[in-house]
Amino acid sequence: MLGLIALKEIRNHLLSFRFLAVFVLLLVFVPATVLILTNDAVRQQDDYSRRQAEIESYLFRYAHFNRLGGVVQPSQPPVPFLALVRGLTADPNLGSFDDDPLPIMFPLVDLTFIVAVLLSLAALIFSYDAVSGEREDGTLKLILTNGVRRATVLFGKILGGAAALFLPFLTAMSAGLIVILLNPRIAWRGSDWGALAGILAGAFVYLGVFVGLGILVSSRHSSSSASILTSLFVWVLAVLVVPNLSPYVASLLKPTPSTISVGREVARLTDIERDELGRKLSAERRAAVLRENPVLEGVERMGEGEIQAAIGRDPVFAKAYAIFRKESEAAWTEANRIQNAKAEVLRGDLRRREEAQTKLALALSMASPFASFTYLAADLSNTGMRNNLHFGRLSAAFWTSYGEYARKKMGEMRAANPTVDLWNTAVDVRDMPRFVYKEEALASRFKAAVVPFLLLAGLALAVFVASVLSFNRADVR
Amino acid sequence: MFRTIVRKEIAANLLSYKFAIVILLASVLISTSLFVMGRDYRSRLADYQLIRPKPGEPIAVLPPHPLSVFAKGLEDAMTRSFEIETIGIDARTGRSSANAVFAFFPAPDFVYVVKVVLSLVALLFGFDLVSREREAGTLKLALANPVSRATLLAGKWTGNFLSVAVPFLLVSGLGLALLALVPGFHWSGPMLGRLALILGASLAYIALFLSLGLFVSAMTRRSSTSLVVLLLLWALFVFILPNLGTLLARQVVDLPSVKAMAEKRQQIWTREVLLSISERGSRDARIKAMNEEFDRLEEDYRLRFDRLVRLSKILNRISPAAAYVYAATEVAGTGIGEESRLKEEVIRYKNQALAGLSRDRTAPSAPAFVYRYRTVGEVLAAGGLFDLAWLVVFALALFAAGFAAFLRTDVR
Repeated sequence: MLGLIALKEIRNHLLSFRFLAVFVLLLVFVPATVLILTNDAVRQQDDYSRRQAEIESYLFRYAHFNRLGGVVQPSQPPVPFLALVRGLTADPNLGSFDDDPLPIMFPLVDLTFIVAVLLSLAALIFSYDAVSGEREDGTLKLILTNGVRRATVLFGKILGGAAALFLPFLTAMSAGLIVILLNPRIAWRGSDWGALAGILAGAFVYLGVFVGLGILVSSRHSSSSASILTSLFVWVLAVLVVPNLSPYVASLLKPTPSTISVGREVARLTDIERDELGRKLSAERRAAVLRENPVLEGVERMGEGEIQAAIGRDPVFAKAYAIFRKESEAAWTEANRIQNAKAEVLRGDLRRREEAQTKLALALSMASPFASFTYLAADLSNTGMRNNLHFGRLSAAFWTSYGEYARKKMGEMRAANPTVDLWNTAVDVRDMPRFVYKEEALASRFKAAVVPFLLLAGLALAVFVASVLSFNRADVR
Repeated sequence: MFRTIVRKEIAANLLSYKFAIVILLASVLISTSLFVMGRDYRSRLADYQLIRPKPGEPIAVLPPHPLSVFAKGLEDAMTRSFEIETIGIDARTGRSSANAVFAFFPAPDFVYVVKVVLSLVALLFGFDLVSREREAGTLKLALANPVSRATLLAGKWTGNFLSVAVPFLLVSGLGLALLALVPGFHWSGPMLGRLALILGASLAYIALFLSLGLFVSAMTRRSSTSLVVLLLLWALFVFILPNLGTLLARQVVDLPSVKAMAEKRQQIWTREVLLSISERGSRDARIKAMNEEFDRLEEDYRLRFDRLVRLSKILNRISPAAAYVYAATEVAGTGIGEESRLKEEVIRYKNQALAGLSRDRTAPSAPAFVYRYRTVGEVLAAGGLFDLAWLVVFALALFAAGFAAFLRTDVR
């Protein structure tokens, strides 16, 4: 009986105008969106490889340790998934004067957005009159005069509605995937397809929530026109309002100190104040060395050439000069350490508060299935917050190996020439370790997606139970 | 007769479930949005008191704009702290950069509520304008009276428009009154004028979607069909077209990525430092050369970016939602045009401040940064009027098309 009812529902939908409209719209806009996103992803890949080549050529020609760290800063390469999901990858880069604020005005459209907005709307369109429509037509009581349980009728309707929704979605998706497959520049690997499967599973549950919601509302209303209004009311709140309000509410509940004033204070501590302290400390230590080593008399007024000559001439001078230099460097290291520790206190406090606020905003927003699905898709596709953290960890590892390399290289430079200016001398760094971005393993991405997925599944279940309960009590006449 | 029809429509709406739920939605959203964004404005204002430059500091910071409560636009980009240094402009961002959830979803300001929710409300009032009465059989009865189809349609449109517009204006007025209670929030005459203009644009935008509803309703026989068509058109106009348009424009305009610009600067800086060491005593000349190269890069980038903005504007305007956002944010002083202008001023300020920037960073002596927002007249002349006119023309064209369709309708 369940099969019969589901089949009847599917046939009904297939012949309806709304099915045709949704089908045509998706079939046009999903492939069009994927095509535009794919071209954009290829453009980003080109940009990335051009930039890397540029960095290499600079390293070859102008590398010196004073500014090297600025040039080799790690950057995130475009992931192949950009052809479908954008997440947080739109970069307005407000931290720089050459920014690109357009994505703030008009956020990008991607697969997540199409599923989350267009398809959830379509889910409501398919289900808003599932019960009330039949009640209005008078066929609902006829169905129930057969030996069929109410729950069976409801499940049949849910199955039928879901099938009618997924048919156009999957067709349009396949068309979109063909666009990706046909593009030789977008090379998806096994893990990408795995992530896609995860995102589609999330999409099914997400859309299930809205099919269920439509049926729930429909069995509580006596007229279809009232039913669509209530459904849209809930939809607007859940999809378009709660997620947008949540970061603002979180920032009111858990405020953070002004990032600009903390940033300025940190800059002052590690720059102007550091220089003052460094000058003071190194003057003290150098004076002490000068007192103990009279041979160095007048060294602070000697030029580079004179010092070299003196070192060659006099082994005592050479030994004393080495101590002199070491003490001076140690003073600056000490000044850096003290000032960085002060700055770290400020930065750490800011970071902790920001993390607390972000966590609260995430928790608040996940009351909305839209936000849960958005996070799920972004994390699975390596375009979300999780990837930002992952990238941060990779960068930190890179900076550690860079530090080791710099120490080793400077040791070599000093061995070759004890008076060399370690920071401001051209150096060949072609043997330097390069930053390599590796996507996070699929398994741990799936682990991260478990929470939003369970939230969605729980919500879907709750909506279904509620719709069964309210249909059981509905007056079908 | 016209007034009778208008009265009948309003009376019918007032008693309907639709009116109750839609007005509930709009009032909850508008007041929540104004409350939350008002509080946000207050805390940004408190931040500004902390970061405003002391006399002599070469820093350009704008205070938060009160109208950003209504149209956030690019406010976050405009209220950054631009700090002038010997090697260029260092931009520091405010709080919203810290919490990634901000980046996931657009700001829920007044303009967002109107753009997304009020347009939906207008559609819900418009979708069964003709078809419901035809289904109920009252349309032929109404036309059995000596009333022209034009009067009937105009009366229905006006009645429904008033049913949306009057509560909308009342709720907005209430929200404004609540905002006036927020300490630190001062209303000035010109600001109220700007606000009136934003409300006017919102009404034109609502009228447009009502006319769209009327048109589709007159074209379709059943109101459920009309609703499906309208909801899909709405999603297309409000969400998909404006956002796809920007992305499409990017594929035409060759704009270097922001990352490429940042890296380029680092590279030039590195090169010049090394060269200034190898040629002793050339430090100042090198810094000058570096700044000139930065300026060239900057200028090239801005030219291309402006081209991208222009092209994406043209493409996005296919969607009335984009035209509305452009008009409202520009009038509020948080639009993309105002932001570009601010950047030009900051560059001019940089050149002025650099000339007087002393080597001693502890005793700076730069002039204060002064920025004058464009007047409403300038905003309108620079494209705002076009966007407003576009909304009105679009609305009129849809109404005319709806009227033409209604003339040929079989009312039985």
